[in-house]
Amino acid sequence: MLASSEAQVTLPDGVALHARPAAIFVRTAMKYKARISVVANDREADAKSILSVLALGARAGTTLRVVAEGEDARDAVDALTTSVSNLTE
Amino acid sequence: MAVGIVLVSHSPELASGLAALVAQVAGPDVPIEAAGGTSDGRLGTSDARVEEAITRADRGAGVVILGDLGSAILTVRHLLETNGNGHTRLVDAPFVEGAVAAAVTASCGATLDEVAQAAEDARGARKL
Repeated sequence: MLASSEAQVTLPDGVALHARPAAIFVRTAMKYKARISVVANDREADAKSILSVLALGARAGTTLRVVAEGEDARDAVDALTTSVSNLTE
Repeated sequence: MAVGIVLVSHSPELASGLAALVAQVAGPDVPIEAAGGTSDGRLGTSDARVEEAITRADRGAGVVILGDLGSAILTVRHLLETNGNGHTRLVDAPFVEGAVAAAVTASCGATLDEVAQAAEDARGARKL
């Protein structure tokens, strides 16, 4: 059975998941083998696809749910939630 | 070193504007070069401008080229047939979305195949 992991993280003040922050998020996701999705505003995106993440249109203060499946799922979710918490404008 | 991206457009402003947008998203590690307009700055495409942009974008890992419409594509195809070196690839992808997807993928240190695939996969991406 594949390991799965999940966590929520809120976009910091002043940081929307667009352009540069979205690319930082996707670059982090791409380091892992796990299949990773990110859910915001009832929409789901492939965390490794910049276009998919941009289409979420997630604004500052939005809570993201990160869900990963695969052997490194836990590490991926940890890295992504940390990366979102550390995003700056 | 990251795969380079070349943006070929009939319009100098379109190519350079997209290059600026893509650079902001992908960061400073991906070579992104604009080749827009004719050599005297009119609407059209120029073999020489495209060739120079490819040379500037090539840091050893290969170059992915995106074009806007019809004859821009023909210009690149013509050029690659005569000067193709095996690691310069024209992709069949939407100009804006393909460039953003390719550049972000390149910024992760992806291979030429992966960057080209990311650009071509952009066709299916939904905006709404």
